Amino acid sequence: MNGQEQEQEHDIIVDIPAAGEAEAALPRRGFPNDVNELYPHEQAGRHLDTLLTDLGERRLYDAASQCNRCGYCENVCPTYMLTGRETLSSRGRNQFVRLLVEGRAKDPEAAREALNTCMLCGACTSSCYAKVPTPDIVLEGRRALNGYGDNFFARAAINTLLNAPAIFGFWLKLAYLVKKTGLPRLAAKMGLYDFLGMPGLADAEGAVDKVPLRFAAETLRADEELRAVHGKPVNWAYFVPCGPNLIYTEVSEATVRVLKARFGPGVFVDNACCGLMANNYGRLEEAREFARKNIVRFEELRAAHGDFKVIADCSSCAAFMKSYEQLFTADAEWRTRAKAFADAVCDILEFLPPEKAGVSDPEALKKAGKVTYHDSCRACHGQGIRQEPREVLRKLAGKAYRELPESDWCCGGAGAYAFTEPELSAKVLDRKLRNIASVQADTVIVGGTSCLSQINAGLKTAYPSARAVHYSVFVDELTRKK
Amino acid sequence: MFKKDRISEIRPELEAIVGPDGVRTGEAEILMYSYDAGMARARPEVVITFSAADQVAPVVKLLAKSGIPFLPRLAGTNLSGGTIPLHGGAVLNMSRLKKIRQIDTGARLALVEPGVVNLELQNALAPFGFFYAPDPGSQKVSTIGGNIGENAGGPLCLKYGVTVDNVEKLEFVSPDGETHTVSYRDAGPDVMSLLVGSEGTLGIVTAAWLKILPLPAHIKTATAAFKSMDEAMNAVTRIIGCGILPRALEAMDKVSLDTVMAGRENPFPPSVEAVLLLELDGDDPVRITKDLDTCHKICAAEGCQNFRMSGDPAEREMLWQARRGVNPAMARLAPDLLVEDGVVPRPLLTAALRETREIAAKYKLTSAMIFHAGDGNMHMHIIFDRRDLQEVRRVKKAGYEMMKAYIKLGGTISGEHGIGVEKRVAMSWLYGPEELEFFRAIKRAFDPAELCNPDKILPIGGDDACGEGRTLPASGLSARASQSPAARGIIDELRVRSGRNIATAVTGLGTRLKRADLGGAQPLDLRALNAAAVIDARNLTARVEAGVRMTDFRRQLAAEGLRLDLPELEGSVGGLIASKAWPDLRDLLLGLEIVTAEGTLVELGGKTVKNVAGYDAVRLMCGSQGAYGVIIAATFALAAGQGQAAAYAKAEPGDFTPGPLQRNLKEQLDPRNLLNPWIYAGTAAAAPGQEAVK
Repeated sequence: MNGQEQEQEHDIIVDIPAAGEAEAALPRRGFPNDVNELYPHEQAGRHLDTLLTDLGERRLYDAASQCNRCGYCENVCPTYMLTGRETLSSRGRNQFVRLLVEGRAKDPEAAREALNTCMLCGACTSSCYAKVPTPDIVLEGRRALNGYGDNFFARAAINTLLNAPAIFGFWLKLAYLVKKTGLPRLAAKMGLYDFLGMPGLADAEGAVDKVPLRFAAETLRADEELRAVHGKPVNWAYFVPCGPNLIYTEVSEATVRVLKARFGPGVFVDNACCGLMANNYGRLEEAREFARKNIVRFEELRAAHGDFKVIADCSSCAAFMKSYEQLFTADAEWRTRAKAFADAVCDILEFLPPEKAGVSDPEALKKAGKVTYHDSCRACHGQGIRQEPREVLRKLAGKAYRELPESDWCCGGAGAYAFTEPELSAKVLDRKLRNIASVQADTVIVGGTSCLSQINAGLKTAYPSARAVHYSVFVDELTRKK
Repeated sequence: MFKKDRISEIRPELEAIVGPDGVRTGEAEILMYSYDAGMARARPEVVITFSAADQVAPVVKLLAKSGIPFLPRLAGTNLSGGTIPLHGGAVLNMSRLKKIRQIDTGARLALVEPGVVNLELQNALAPFGFFYAPDPGSQKVSTIGGNIGENAGGPLCLKYGVTVDNVEKLEFVSPDGETHTVSYRDAGPDVMSLLVGSEGTLGIVTAAWLKILPLPAHIKTATAAFKSMDEAMNAVTRIIGCGILPRALEAMDKVSLDTVMAGRENPFPPSVEAVLLLELDGDDPVRITKDLDTCHKICAAEGCQNFRMSGDPAEREMLWQARRGVNPAMARLAPDLLVEDGVVPRPLLTAALRETREIAAKYKLTSAMIFHAGDGNMHMHIIFDRRDLQEVRRVKKAGYEMMKAYIKLGGTISGEHGIGVEKRVAMSWLYGPEELEFFRAIKRAFDPAELCNPDKILPIGGDDACGEGRTLPASGLSARASQSPAARGIIDELRVRSGRNIATAVTGLGTRLKRADLGGAQPLDLRALNAAAVIDARNLTARVEAGVRMTDFRRQLAAEGLRLDLPELEGSVGGLIASKAWPDLRDLLLGLEIVTAEGTLVELGGKTVKNVAGYDAVRLMCGSQGAYGVIIAATFALAAGQGQAAAYAKAEPGDFTPGPLQRNLKEQLDPRNLLNPWIYAGTAAAAPGQEAVK
């Protein structure tokens, strides 16, 4: 090979800095990477200041650099498993963000496909020894993309939800009516379900009749037993996430019944949206605003009722609230308050101990058939919840319970993913459905409402004898006194 | 500019083969395929993803025709920069070829595509009660294709051999785009074994028939904790020396132990400096218990503080998770990791470990040691941050010094991770120019245009500038001095004949070569090569000259309480190897000394049980029938104690008709067709490369 052929630069051990970069300009160990090159300084508010990783508080650059490219995450990354492309792998996404920060990748637009196809399931982080927080890194990368979070619909919807939730509710009900009146396609076109992270609903064959005209929050507010009365001792506070509030009201009803029956008096938080949607849509400032509202509300309740756990029944929501501290790392005061809130948050999946599972009604158990459990990503990867719900389910379902192969394989719901990446999402779902079929399950228990709509939409066409049921609903159905 | 064009020119043709989605040249793809788990970086020009194995050959043919370099890539987890496209060109992404096509428990074979992940294969075999022996630490993610490319090992390879020992047959696409199917049992030179560990420089494997084994009925695991590494190593040498062959014999030092035990309950006392993980398997529980008892006694005698037998599967799983977790767990300490992969003869492990640690201390590096103690294969993990350029320099220097230390101790620089680009420079410290030229000839035979994963394994021009030149005792000429007078006589004789263009018929003892017509070649009798075998009882190896009768060699071994795990075979050592009288003989063969047609002495392999530095020319010589070089001495791996000789099923391969691959090799290794000329009659110099070009 002659000399010209080798215009490719390479070195044996260390790579060569991108052209024009002086060696001294490279950040070294011990150098805090003060200037985060991913975005101009005035954009800082739209980004996280630092990431709270398993190895401590890190700058984005240090968090991404912690990946030593061992590749152990590739085999759990749904998009890599399906495409075999490094570009669509967890390791690749981390490397991409690192290259962008280092200026070795010049054009952030090239990263768009890699970053946007991430389902943020977090399976990579679970399998990583260094627990590199890839979903957070990917979100930071997305926030650096041009126009991310700036489209009119996301902005308008989030603003309405934040500042005028009643108007948002009205709007949503209108959409439901449109759907009920036999124009489901129009409702789908409005993109509402996608925005809510439940594109499965947009399916014409989806839960058309199940849309509520009375939101859970309205019912809960009217519930005397749940009213906040100063000095009333409570054992729990119920936080209603958007899914159970706006779509799956039966989930929140079941959760409240389960809590009341087992843990005595409680209170309804009467909360705002947790902010996850704003966070994932690139609207970090709004996400912080949602968080502040909930924190303030929590503090009021604490002052009135003393110590209690905040129970949420959608794993995505619970996981996000547990990470509230990360939103405020640059703000000492709010950081402490956010941490206190986050520490009180508890997913219903982990709250119920097996000894309080109750006794299942044989009739209801028979109706449930073979029962299996799907690990919602934000439960198992986001919060490390795996054993707790299984213990309860084993106790309730007994021999009817079976393990789902690849139970922590994402269902492909992943927020708006099914909408933005329909082809990949369908393949991801397909594998989930095949696994469900392989154990001949009749009832698939899930902890996230996004999973609920996605898996049910899939089952409806591929495996109609089975249905996905939220954990609370299942526990409630099996143990409710007639 | 010109580079971009050469891809666009063939793009329509490429897309016709793999589909438009299979050809990607976007910036994202180029960046994402410019790295692997090692440190080197280079950008490809195109990434081609296959969705069926039969797409590989036409794509390779097209690339070869256009003069575009290419290399195969799977999970990209290798630790030596092997999948970095140094000359740009195409990365052939094989990772979607992941079908397990067949599991045949009767024939004990599994037919798989290269993208099958090692652990997925294990999981697929388990329900049938079978397993595939190579179990590299990365088995959760690394693929069979990658394992074959690097000749991966793993803890179980102590008993069951490395990848090459567990491959029955390979289908591969040679760099000219032709598809071949080769088995080590085929008559003639063993091309299959040469492919294994060639790091994608000789061809691209598209299907592999792997040997699978029934799961042992009983497995017992134990850990032994020692106050010093020396004591632990003495115990290892004695355990192997008394004839026990554990399923695995792994060691961890304190740093690695502390790293993986972080956050768990550490079952070992704080004064522990070294822990051995010992595992025995078999179908006879009484025997296992007895052997484990012996191990216990040996360990206790060597100062073991704490010997725990664990019958509990959960505890066993925990121990293995800890062992397998060391490498990735280092990622918690720092973002970059250099893993040295040296192998030394087992009795020298203590010395090698001490030197390795001293070097790490000298350069103020944080390092942890885990290793396959039973094989003498050490994995020194050095952690650093590549953003600290000073530290990177120190790591680089330390790595070089460690490799030199292993070479000095008679070891090798890589036991299972490969040479790639990162250890390339060290090849000229390990081998002399004669051996490197031999390897280059092999590479030329397969890939004359240097397109298939170019500039890997073998040092290139600039490499000397990186190191300090060759400072270690060379093999080659000076090694010649260590040969017996008879061997030196053979070398001189061949040199003279080469100078006069006289063809040679290697007759050995005359056991197998009964041919009357030698085609005008002068016989070369190897009867004089009969010096007594040099036995290293502690390392369990023996070097024996090629003219020694196998029966005599065995008698000599038996006198020392040692044996060769082979059936009774007739004839000379050299003749048996050259004729491949027993194809599985390759498993015991560690090193060969051969003389080329030009009369150059070449030392292949060595005294260590694992060696992936350079091509597996030792196995290539098995069945070469004297046509590639004259075998003058061989080094074997021995077993201790009593054993049963395997029944001698007639396994001698039938008649050999050279195929294009063997002809190309012959042309490179003996271009004038001087050695046993009748085998390759009518090809060689007379019609160079006819077969290959056609």
